[in-house]
Amino acid sequence: MDLESRGIPGGYILTEEFREADLAQARALGFSANKVFVEHPIQDRTDAEMALIAERAFAEVVAMIVTPE
Amino acid sequence: MTEQHDSYLVFLKRDCPTCVLVEPALRELESAGKILQVWSQDDPEFPGSLTAVGDDRELEQSYHWQVETVPTVIRLRGDKEVERTEGWDRAAWLNLFGTQQLAEDLPGFRPGCGSLSVQPGVAEELALRYGTSSLQARRIEIAELEDPLEACYARGWSDGLPVVPPTELRVIRMLAGTHREPAEIVGLIPPDLQPCSIEKIAINAVMAGCKPEYLPVVIAAVEAALIDEFCMHGLLATTWFSSPMIIVNGPITKAIGMNSGGNALGQGNRANATIGRALQLVIRNVGGGKPGGVDRATLGNPGKYTFCFAEDESEQRWQSVAQQRGFESQQSTVTLFAADGVQGIADQKSREPESLCRSLAASLLGVGHRKFAMLSDAFIVLCPEHLRVFTNAGWSKQQVLDRLFELTTRSGAELINGVDGIAEGMPEFVKDMQLAKFKPNGLNIVCAGGTAGLFSAIVPGWLASGDMGSSPVTKEIV
Repeated sequence: MDLESRGIPGGYILTEEFREADLAQARALGFSANKVFVEHPIQDRTDAEMALIAERAFAEVVAMIVTPE
Repeated sequence: MTEQHDSYLVFLKRDCPTCVLVEPALRELESAGKILQVWSQDDPEFPGSLTAVGDDRELEQSYHWQVETVPTVIRLRGDKEVERTEGWDRAAWLNLFGTQQLAEDLPGFRPGCGSLSVQPGVAEELALRYGTSSLQARRIEIAELEDPLEACYARGWSDGLPVVPPTELRVIRMLAGTHREPAEIVGLIPPDLQPCSIEKIAINAVMAGCKPEYLPVVIAAVEAALIDEFCMHGLLATTWFSSPMIIVNGPITKAIGMNSGGNALGQGNRANATIGRALQLVIRNVGGGKPGGVDRATLGNPGKYTFCFAEDESEQRWQSVAQQRGFESQQSTVTLFAADGVQGIADQKSREPESLCRSLAASLLGVGHRKFAMLSDAFIVLCPEHLRVFTNAGWSKQQVLDRLFELTTRSGAELINGVDGIAEGMPEFVKDMQLAKFKPNGLNIVCAGGTAGLFSAIVPGWLASGDMGSSPVTKEIV
């Protein structure tokens, strides 16, 4: 919200497990930010597996920050 | 100056010996033509020898005229008070009634008794009945057949245990515990960032089961939770176990009967139990922080119901938590720590500080994960018998902390991923470093517990400590 108010496109990346948390937070703040969901889990993934997840999400992440509202 | 057309209000109760004593004086004044309106708080037949005795058993007049003592005599001009006197003081009565002589048989002075209108609990009830309520919270009507406890559950106001229904009277009584204005906003409560007034805190303190005298502690705890360094929003949202632990220091702990002794971390003390719970209910009911919503804890911990205790400050040679954090012993404070549950440490053999430090350090290494370093902070809750080992040897708290810091510093090579056949651990790049288990000032000691048992406790903290997460915060209770 802060970044966007300064004209910097923003968003966040979270795993599927946090869909409900994202909804709850958006409801709480009255604001739904741009976001991209990736598969869960990530904490115990190897670097190679993380790179693969990032690769799969890359296009969507780029679109999130370059697509005008 | 008394004038002929002045009239007088007299407040009495039969149960007051001084009120009984002054009956002859009032009779004498009435006979002399003084215009008296007597209000009796407990018996409209008393005093039987006077003509104008009103029934004030409902205490409406006493409340309206703010009577604190009986007898009280108020001189009126028209319907405005000019002056008043309390108790029996012949000189004051002579002056008030503008007379030269009065009840010469009576002693010169007798103090009065407390007015029924200011008895504990009554004043707030009268304020609700006859005053103008300043409470801003919306009133919720429930059906006559609805159980108030169940109504609170149904509306999602409970942490799982029954809450005390926050009636207007209970909230007004609770607010009597603070001098702060009910409408004062203390901050925005996460996660919904809702403005939280003193009144809202009082409502949740009622629901938690607090007594009014606990309210200043609850307010300070809420204010502390809102200090940026504590990171309450993140703490609520984390998948980790932690939630606020409240340590209370200073004279207020004894004044409100908090427990710092046996079972200090357990059940059974109303102040300990309800102050911690009140903070949790504020987060839930004002901030909207609930499990399954923004609260994403994988397991949580029982301290998320309540986790609050007083420090045992009886050992003068050791600084309390509050003193370490820059406060004087006469100041009352709350210190909040993002805490997990309690991990016990038994050491029934160490009689020397070095041995006990090694023993404590061995257990401290397990905080978070034995192969983690510089992540979680921790508190040791040091029991009196372990404290004695240090104080008998002349060790200060800082000496103990410094030694524990040394003893929990390890080679990075022992901690990296894969070592000991455990995938978890620190990243490869630390392998040539010496790594402290805790950040500087990340380890703290608080004294509490019963006098028998060489059992202390570790209270580990959130994995996200310091600038990346939460740091302990202290707030003075005012």
